Amino acid sequence: MKNIILSAKDITKHFPGILANDHINFDLYEGEIHSILGENGAGKTTFMNILDGLYIPDEGEIYIKGKKAKILSPIDAMNYGIGMIHQHFMLVDTLTVLENVILGLKDQGIFINESNISKKINEISEKYNFKINPKAKIWQLSLGEQQRVEIIKMLIRGANILILDEPTAVLTPQETDMLFDILQQLKSEGKSAIFISHKLEEVMDISDRITILRKGKVVGTVNKKDITITDLATMMVGREVFFSFEKKPLDTNEILLKIENLEGYNDRGVKTLKGLNLTIYRGEIFGIAGIGGNGQEELVEIITGLRKATKGKIFLKDIDITNSSPSTILKKGVSYIPSDRLKDGLIPNLTPLENSILKCYYKPPIYNRGIINYINAKKYTENLINEYNVMVPLMNAPVRLLSGGNLQKLLLAREISENPILLIAVHPTRGLDINATEFIRKKLLEVRNSGTTVLLISEDLDELLMISDRIGVIFNGKIVGIVNPNEVDIKDIGLMMGGSRYINNKEGEF
Amino acid sequence: MDGISTYFILITLLFSAVKSGTIILLPTIGEIFTERSGVLNLGIEGMMLVGAFFGFVAAYLTNNPYIGFVVGMLSGGLLSIIHAVISITLQGNQIVSGLALTIIGGGITNLYGYHYTDLRLTSTLKNFPIPFLSKIPFLGPIFFNQDIIVYLSYILIVVMWYILYKTKIGIHLRAVGDNAKAANAMGVNVFKTRYFWTFFGGLLAGAGGAYLTIGYAPFWLDGMTFGRGWIAVALVIFSMWNPLYAIIGAYLFGSIDALQFQLQAAGTNIPSSILQMLPYLITFIIITFATIFVRLKHIGVPKELAKPFSREEK
Amino acid sequence: MFIFERRESVPLRLKIMIPIISIIIGLIIGAIAILFLNVDPLQVYKAILIGSFGSRYAFTETLVFATPLILLTSGLILVYRMGFWNIGAYGQYIMGAVFSSYFAIFGSPDLPKFSMLFIMICAALLGGAFWAFIPAFLKALWDVNEVITTLLLNYIALSILRYFMYGPWRDPTGLGFPLSKQFPLNAQLPRIIPNSRVNLGLIFGIIAAVIIWFIINKTKFGYELRVIGGNPRAARYAGINVASKIIIAMLISGALAGLAGMVQVSGVLRVLQIEISPEYGYTALITSWLSYLNPLIGIFVSILFGAFTAGGYLIQITMNVPYGIIPLIESVILFMLIGGEIFKNYKISYLKRSF
Repeated sequence: MKNIILSAKDITKHFPGILANDHINFDLYEGEIHSILGENGAGKTTFMNILDGLYIPDEGEIYIKGKKAKILSPIDAMNYGIGMIHQHFMLVDTLTVLENVILGLKDQGIFINESNISKKINEISEKYNFKINPKAKIWQLSLGEQQRVEIIKMLIRGANILILDEPTAVLTPQETDMLFDILQQLKSEGKSAIFISHKLEEVMDISDRITILRKGKVVGTVNKKDITITDLATMMVGREVFFSFEKKPLDTNEILLKIENLEGYNDRGVKTLKGLNLTIYRGEIFGIAGIGGNGQEELVEIITGLRKATKGKIFLKDIDITNSSPSTILKKGVSYIPSDRLKDGLIPNLTPLENSILKCYYKPPIYNRGIINYINAKKYTENLINEYNVMVPLMNAPVRLLSGGNLQKLLLAREISENPILLIAVHPTRGLDINATEFIRKKLLEVRNSGTTVLLISEDLDELLMISDRIGVIFNGKIVGIVNPNEVDIKDIGLMMGGSRYINNKEGEF
Repeated sequence: MDGISTYFILITLLFSAVKSGTIILLPTIGEIFTERSGVLNLGIEGMMLVGAFFGFVAAYLTNNPYIGFVVGMLSGGLLSIIHAVISITLQGNQIVSGLALTIIGGGITNLYGYHYTDLRLTSTLKNFPIPFLSKIPFLGPIFFNQDIIVYLSYILIVVMWYILYKTKIGIHLRAVGDNAKAANAMGVNVFKTRYFWTFFGGLLAGAGGAYLTIGYAPFWLDGMTFGRGWIAVALVIFSMWNPLYAIIGAYLFGSIDALQFQLQAAGTNIPSSILQMLPYLITFIIITFATIFVRLKHIGVPKELAKPFSREEK
Repeated sequence: MFIFERRESVPLRLKIMIPIISIIIGLIIGAIAILFLNVDPLQVYKAILIGSFGSRYAFTETLVFATPLILLTSGLILVYRMGFWNIGAYGQYIMGAVFSSYFAIFGSPDLPKFSMLFIMICAALLGGAFWAFIPAFLKALWDVNEVITTLLLNYIALSILRYFMYGPWRDPTGLGFPLSKQFPLNAQLPRIIPNSRVNLGLIFGIIAAVIIWFIINKTKFGYELRVIGGNPRAARYAGINVASKIIIAMLISGALAGLAGMVQVSGVLRVLQIEISPEYGYTALITSWLSYLNPLIGIFVSILFGAFTAGGYLIQITMNVPYGIIPLIESVILFMLIGGEIFKNYKISYLKRSF
């Protein structure tokens, strides 16, 4: 019978406004690969960061080999044999593999015993067939190789519990196979791995057991042998639907936005859009479902002109807007509500008024011969605030002090009041309370009913099902299926999001 | 006859260039390491001033230039701690803090410097030739007939280069400056590292100032660093944060400085004020081109420069 | 252990307390520094008070020293609001003085006063603006670090001044000192308070401060500046041309600094010399910050610092305490101010481990 090597009981963690982990219970056997499955915001990364000592839980305890563990920092975690490989690698690009391995190593004196460490690296490299040159600089390595450096770092420090956070996000299929071989090899030596992912097929492939998280809670822990992929998909996305909204039927088939073969890269140089095709009709709410990191952020940035497309074209009402400047695109009637409100959309230290006029400050009635009419601006802002129910305790306080919900409403108000022809909203209700969430969804339907087209990117499937006219699922940089929310089976969407189901993608088919 | 006198003039010039260059080389190296840890300290001018002044005073009072030099170093180091606390722990605006450091350095030295203005040191640093090396034609008399501080600076460059690229300390330093989050995740104490290297920069800035008043001048005048601290800031960029390249900029500046001195002494037609302008003008031009070059090549700038680090959750 | 914990809002009392505490600590540390000179700090502070507010003349001297500061501070606040680190106010000040002095020295003394002064003012604005344009252009185009460029230009400007003062602009009858000839009557900015050195520059300063306040808070340009300063990404996204704003704002900032230079040489000194109050360049930085980047507050802070300066010169003469004590106190205040910023957003709390 296998021993339990790690056990987490009642782990609870709050962040302002969110309950990220809600009494999570989890255990790990020796020599086991245990996956944690869930959508974005399910609480996976928070839980992992707790195990790795980056966060401290509000409640709950962790036991290693039966003894209570005090993990207050990554070093403590390492001492307990836990080694985490983050989604964004903890590597210094300008240093070599050897230097990154040495970073923080305890039993090294001032002078590097280069040959000693080099030898150890090579030993590990050979054992698992890593093919890593210790003298290479990190920025020269592929992401797959960088990941293997991370694994080497952990193994040299004697880790026997590896935590891998979405490790295949940056890997090619071949590299993924390599990774799985390595994990199997480690497993046969009695080491354990916690594998965090949203990709259903991989999880079914590699795991012994699977724990599913949803909205901060454990939905269940199952043996791989006892479950099917479809069951997993259902558990992952859930079925509750809270609200229902009135939707006017779609009354036109005029094309508003056409995207052809779009290709693009993210900031780390990984190609995240791999030939995306999409057609959106005027007056519809088109929802894009998908786990974060499958290209949706880059898609939106390219449409709004904040990022360059490397291939492909985008047509707004037959006008080619590919790679135009943001202001050109905005002036054509595109409005954008970014997911990071304070970083991209708002100016944190300015007041609500000053933020609300960002799109119209150069036009009458606010602008007049060089001067900004703050009286009109105030009226404008007050109208917006009232219409959108934004709670502003102090009109003169910087917006960064507003709550997430109110910031979002302010942003929404600003962007919608420009009467755009296309409104792009990315994770608009992320982190908001029920009231704000409902308000925003209602507002999106309102603008749709008055003729604005909405492109809605959301990780909340309930939301997409509630208000979209059509839903496209994005996976691995492509749209893998377009469905009618009234008729689709939740399971199918889950499967598509997990990359294991492709619906015959005929444009315009309901 | 003319060729020989030109030869001697050149040697004398370059000999002074090394000394003048050393004044600025020390702070440059110090600031390279400070910035490598992610801290921007624009207060070099202020630290050099206190190093110059207090070093001079100590040397004068003890009649021992070496004690003076050490005191000067420590003065610079002490001043840098103010900047360190504000920049690292209090996460304050590093640019303004550095400027305030410069102002306070000027204020302190002006305040106490009055009584020491017309004094001269009786016991200064002596030059001594290094056997064998000083006999090398041309290079010998320039580089190997200097005082102990210059010799130490040679060693310093090599040692610091070695530390930076060949030791664990250097790895930790570079990691903190390029990816503080990763360094922290691997157990490196980002705060301690930054405090250490900021202090180090302060020590060397103080050393540069002390060398000015003890080894080069040897007297004290209000504000006598006259902007060298700012040239050092520029040289850090010019040397692409590599201590070996710092020599080039420092000695180049030293040569211009020595040249303008010689020209003034020789009574040339070029007004001295124009000559005085040269170092700053040339640095200005260099920094402009260096920026364009660095941007094109994406080299060198420590990615965490002037970004405060906090372990704040989410 | 102690950690910093985010606050939900900025208590008003902190906004007032932090500058006040900064000033108090500055005075305390200044007092300690004075003790090392074997001088009684209280006497020194009393003398500073007397020298700045103790008599009618003292008060006018405070205004005299405040005048260039108001102009400089206003100009700096404009660009600091945009997030552009202009440290070159001193150089722009010098160039303004140089450009305007040219006309005072070589122009005709028979020109009507109004015309001459008008030309000089234009020249000063031009000189300062020109000196500010160079680093602004380099930053706008190639992102060259403006701290270093503006700073180096200070030293270059000083060298240019020295060149003129030791060379072609030196007063031939001046016994070899590096001074220009005394400005003729038509090149002297009129004094506005009898029996004092307070000149028209004070009015210029107050008008400038109000205009800058107006620009920042009421115009489209000012709005765009504040957006750039608050979030350059959002600014670009909203279609604002950041490069052109940098250049225009710096032209204005440099022009004001240049005007301050002209005011100093034409209104106070009535001659061009090398020592045209170098402390102004860096003091203006401190006053800008202490004013929370508000030009109207800047007027009062400038007067306060004008008082420090007036007092500082007095104690130098009467008590043999060198002027350096003033920048010392001023920089301590600045340190406290920057260091105290964090307490507006975070409070110190004690985290007890729940293990």
